[in-house]
Amino acid sequence: MTSPILMSLQSVSKTYVMGEVQVEALKATTLDIYDGELLVILGPSGSGKSTLLNLMGGIDQPSTGEIYFAGKPLTSAAEKELTNYRRREVGFVFQFYNLIPDLTAAENVALAAELVNSPRPVDEVLQEVGLLDRRDHFPSQLSGGEQQRVAIARAIVKQPRLLLCDEPTGALDFETGKNVLRLLYDIRQKRSGTVIIVTHNTAIGAIADRVVRMRSGKIADITVNQQPVPPERIDW
Amino acid sequence: MTTLTRKLVRMVTASWGQFVALVLIVMLGVMIYIGMNTAFSNMSQSQERFYQEYRFADYTFAVVKAPESVVSRIEAVPGVIKATGRVQKDIPIVKAEDQRAIGRLTGYPLPLEGEVNRLHLLSGSWFEESPAGNVGVLVDPQFFAANHLSIGDRLEVIADGKKAALTVIGTAISPEFIYPMPDSGALVPEPGRFGIIMIPQIQAQQILNYSGQINQVVIDLAPGADESAVVREIERILEPYGNLASYPRRDQLSHAALQAELEGLKTMSDSLPLVFFLIAAAIQSVIISRLIKTQRLPIGVMKALGYSSLQIMGNYTSYALLVSGVGSVLGIALGISMAAGMSQVYAQFFNLPSTIGGINLSVVIRSVVISLVVGGAAGLYASRSVVRIRPAEAMRPEPPASGKHTLLENWTWLWQHLSSSWKMSLRSILRNRMRFAVTVLGVVFTVCLLIFALFSNDAVDYLLQQSFSMSNRYDYIVRFTQPVKYTDVAYWNRWSEVQKMEPLLEVPVKIKVGERAEDELLVGAGVTGELRKVYDMHGQQKQIPEEGILLSKRIADKLGLKPGDEVEVQTTLGIGPTRTDHLRITGVNQPMSGSGSYISWETANRLLGESQAVSAVMLKLDRPEMKSVETRLYEMTGVSSVLSPQREQAAFLQYMDTIIVFIAIMVLMAGLLGLAIVYNTSIMTFQERRRELASLRVLGFSQGEIAGLLRKETGIQAVLGIVIGLPAGKVMGSALMASISTDLYSMPAIIYPRTYLIAALLALIFIGIGQQLAIRKTGQIDMVEALKNRD
Repeated sequence: MTSPILMSLQSVSKTYVMGEVQVEALKATTLDIYDGELLVILGPSGSGKSTLLNLMGGIDQPSTGEIYFAGKPLTSAAEKELTNYRRREVGFVFQFYNLIPDLTAAENVALAAELVNSPRPVDEVLQEVGLLDRRDHFPSQLSGGEQQRVAIARAIVKQPRLLLCDEPTGALDFETGKNVLRLLYDIRQKRSGTVIIVTHNTAIGAIADRVVRMRSGKIADITVNQQPVPPERIDW
Repeated sequence: MTTLTRKLVRMVTASWGQFVALVLIVMLGVMIYIGMNTAFSNMSQSQERFYQEYRFADYTFAVVKAPESVVSRIEAVPGVIKATGRVQKDIPIVKAEDQRAIGRLTGYPLPLEGEVNRLHLLSGSWFEESPAGNVGVLVDPQFFAANHLSIGDRLEVIADGKKAALTVIGTAISPEFIYPMPDSGALVPEPGRFGIIMIPQIQAQQILNYSGQINQVVIDLAPGADESAVVREIERILEPYGNLASYPRRDQLSHAALQAELEGLKTMSDSLPLVFFLIAAAIQSVIISRLIKTQRLPIGVMKALGYSSLQIMGNYTSYALLVSGVGSVLGIALGISMAAGMSQVYAQFFNLPSTIGGINLSVVIRSVVISLVVGGAAGLYASRSVVRIRPAEAMRPEPPASGKHTLLENWTWLWQHLSSSWKMSLRSILRNRMRFAVTVLGVVFTVCLLIFALFSNDAVDYLLQQSFSMSNRYDYIVRFTQPVKYTDVAYWNRWSEVQKMEPLLEVPVKIKVGERAEDELLVGAGVTGELRKVYDMHGQQKQIPEEGILLSKRIADKLGLKPGDEVEVQTTLGIGPTRTDHLRITGVNQPMSGSGSYISWETANRLLGESQAVSAVMLKLDRPEMKSVETRLYEMTGVSSVLSPQREQAAFLQYMDTIIVFIAIMVLMAGLLGLAIVYNTSIMTFQERRRELASLRVLGFSQGEIAGLLRKETGIQAVLGIVIGLPAGKVMGSALMASISTDLYSMPAIIYPRTYLIAALLALIFIGIGQQLAIRKTGQIDMVEALKNRD
């Protein structure tokens, strides 16, 4: 890859202590993320993929190793710096959307917009995800797919350099899931941001520039997709 | 059911803070209930027994002078079980350093067994039947202590114009002197300056020149007797001896004061604990229903396993019962101490035999029962949703909380300008209406209690201002043993220290309307006088009429009189002939304290058929207290007392000092209540919105911003609670003042603006602390844990 490195993980591991049990969720992992790539991290449940994503997103700290974002170390960052990192550089999309139930679709997006200095206009982003006409609806009044699209709108309104998606289609049916993937794909194409998708659905790997396969807390292999396939052509 | 019990224990330990906060509220309720009810029951039992054992008179009759033989005639009246005749007179006591005090010399016919209004010896020895040499007297214990007397000390008194020496041989109390006050004008007892001197009848008669005569008859009525008929008959018998006054037990000063105190205590002990119990019940109810909502899955599983709804409900209800139980145990210990403390304070002011104190078992049991019943009811009510949970449904993921548009959003201008965090807070509050209402209600009660605790200070301040600054502008009021001519004392005005001097003629009368009559003291003062002005309880000045009476509301109400009515006035001075006149009511006045019927000095003189007569003069000096003047005055035997409003005020303030402790305790309790409520609801909010808050953290909200979010919610509830609570506090204060208004004093609920401010600030402080304790947990948001996907 000729693009510059956006994020670098050096021998990063994560061990959770649950009472008297120690769980090594991620073993020493080294990985570089290139600016502008669409990366898919595949793996079954317990493979450590979500842990990896959490570490990249700054919502968790590694037990060992170093993480660098745009050359600056994240691992030794203070709480305040991490918060700022998440605020400005990261957009997160979850499997179960995690929208604020007390806010309408537009308000959920506006919530994120208020955090940065130059956000995109709320309605423009809602238009992009195709939900402008539902802007005044609450999450409970939206379908799963619509909620996920609002979540994506919320994530991109901040114009983050890194968009992290944890099982974005996991709770959605086939058609809706493909629509969501389409959206993510287009975002990467249009905005040239970096998109990382974590999933257990191997079919999704086809749309990526690179696929990282994980097993038992380690990277099993990394493949480069010479010909990434647009989402509407994949099947599962 | 040991697993369920274990589950109960985990429920408690999982949220220690909440459990403790709830226990605190129940504990306060139980403590107040036991403390006040025990003090009340102890005091009223003590009162009852004392009255019974020592035969407190049902009716008292005062005459000018009557032969002793009249007593047997009165006893012969059907309905009278026993009558006791005695002599009673207020005489000056000469103390060291030219100070004066007043002693109510009361003669007791010996032997005292079977008589009415008997004495209970506290210390020292009883009267000697036929003493040789010194006259031995008993005094009331407060006078004894305040004047640092010892057994064997001599009291120098002035009786019948001559000095006499009395030897103090002990202290005693009697049902009629439980609260020794010279008259209804005094604000508080001043034991240093007024005491009861109890002396054998024969010696009283000697000293006061009442040989073979009495001036007071006290009677014991048979149960079921026709009181008014008996009284009429007795008054007829006493007619030739100059009827001065007659009053039933309920109008007797000491009894009235004690009753007022007891009634106030009863009202408080009924209502105040209820507030705490209800709040505790409301919060427990909210907590338990929330707990059940979050534990839908485990409950569904238990039901699937075969547990019945009732068993599960019982488990949750036992959380409430545990809170009530623990709270009760702690409350009992504190309540008993509180009762003991209160009893001690009361013992300072009320001369009841020392049977006050001790544990009232029925009160303790009642409080435990009430708190358990209330807790249990709250628990059952809150857990009734358990019945509706079906196992299969419960194991499906819960539908997301439904957001709803609120009415507030119709105000589009405002809504548009609100930040997202305000929108979240407002919608969240309005979604959980029950919890919102409970919290606001809790804050309202907290504020009410704070105002209630603080405003007594304001009321006292106002009272002092009225009595001492506004109404009485003199430095000394000098009373004479009997009325003298103003011209005889006018030379006092020429003393260098005296700036101003004004006359006062106080005339005790019977005001008659048809068949009914009421005793009253008419104060004759200069219409254009500077030293005594008349104000009503709202601070409005009332004009002393040149002709006619400015009647006190108390008498006006009793006789159904209004301005313009004419009444018959009969003097009952005890000196000179009784005279009757007719006067018109020019106005009705309700002062804050004392009786307040005023006439002009000229009218008072005319009533007595005198001119230029005074019963007292008011002096304004260069400085408020001047020893030189006092000494000069005391050397005159015609002077019975020299009273200084300054000293009265000092005594009153000292009296109020004991109240400060109560106020501080009340403020603390109110604050803890607010703290506990806010803490609980904040914790609940936080726990419910863990996932939401974690999302916000992921988005990039800092911990401070998250805390700010939670503060907004609490803030709205706090502000609303305060805004409602301040006027509610005023209403509550007014209701309380109205309920304790007696014939002795009536005060409006005076609340200075700064008290509202202080109450609001205190409320905010305690709420802030409660909130901060809850918010400390926001730092503990584990984003990974909170957002865990359900695989």
